[in-house]
Amino acid sequence: MGQIEQIAREHGKALAPLSDELVLVESGLDSLAFAVLVARLETNLGIDPFTAAEEAIFPTTLGEFVKVYERGLARDTGAARL
Amino acid sequence: MAKEQHSVLVTGGSRGLGLAIAQRLAASGYRVIAIARNASKEVTAATAYAEQTGQGPLHFEQFDLGKIDEIPILVRRLHTRFGPLFALVNNAALGHAGVLATMHDSKLEEQVRVNTLSPIVLTKYVVRGMMSAGRGRIVNVASIIGVTGYSGLAAYAATKTSMIGLTRSLAREVGRLNINVNAVAPGFLATDMTRTLDAENMAKIARRSAMGRLAETEDVAGAVEFLLSDKARNITGTVLTVDAGTTA
Repeated sequence: MGQIEQIAREHGKALAPLSDELVLVESGLDSLAFAVLVARLETNLGIDPFTAAEEAIFPTTLGEFVKVYERGLARDTGAARL
Repeated sequence: MAKEQHSVLVTGGSRGLGLAIAQRLAASGYRVIAIARNASKEVTAATAYAEQTGQGPLHFEQFDLGKIDEIPILVRRLHTRFGPLFALVNNAALGHAGVLATMHDSKLEEQVRVNTLSPIVLTKYVVRGMMSAGRGRIVNVASIIGVTGYSGLAAYAATKTSMIGLTRSLAREVGRLNINVNAVAPGFLATDMTRTLDAENMAKIARRSAMGRLAETEDVAGAVEFLLSDKARNITGTVLTVDAGTTA
């Protein structure tokens, strides 16, 4: 959540209140800001679950977005990280 | 005041134009990572020279850019070792000459995969680090052939024009994040790539250029160096032609 708030600040965007049900397209972040978020999460968490997936994933809400990462991290446990 | 040393990735950096670019940037003070399928005597010598003279450093990393699936792993490895890249020079390419009507499909596919798909995918993964850091430079090596065409190089020309489309769109997409994206369009250069063109043809091309000669790899390397510099901070989405006036 901290990352989202920071990116909103950096990009001068007004952020909607964060909750699981928040619809991403209404969050106040645009696609460019989301790309930065995915990039930073990859640096911090070491995974990019969107690329690792077989097909393109499109989470609609913030809750779904977080779940994509939780599943990705659970899969990754024990696997060798570069 | 110590300036943060910027890292630059140069693809196809073992020979020809890529090597000239890598050497120029190392001499300019960048940490350069040259990538190619195979090392060469020249890049090994260049690495040693950079070390001896306190330039660069210049690293060589072996990787086959035709292996698209492995690109994300490569970028992650480089990110871990060198931090977010400051610049990417998409130079690696191959060309098969011949009449399109009888060129084997595998050769068509290979040119599109290595010259177009590979730089697009590599850029996708590298630009993330740049977006996260809020700065970056991307230079895509196109070619005058991507603009004028050349008989016998239909597929190659198509792949080189693709670099111009990529440049313009991406520049518009990430400009707001302080990332400049430009292309250089070299004319005919004397490298392994043009070795199969006979001497008479090369002489003809040279004679017809505005300057009556061919450009050299060092000239294109200089253009790349400029585009990576502070002087080019407000230059983006454009094509810098280095061809001794062949297309003037």
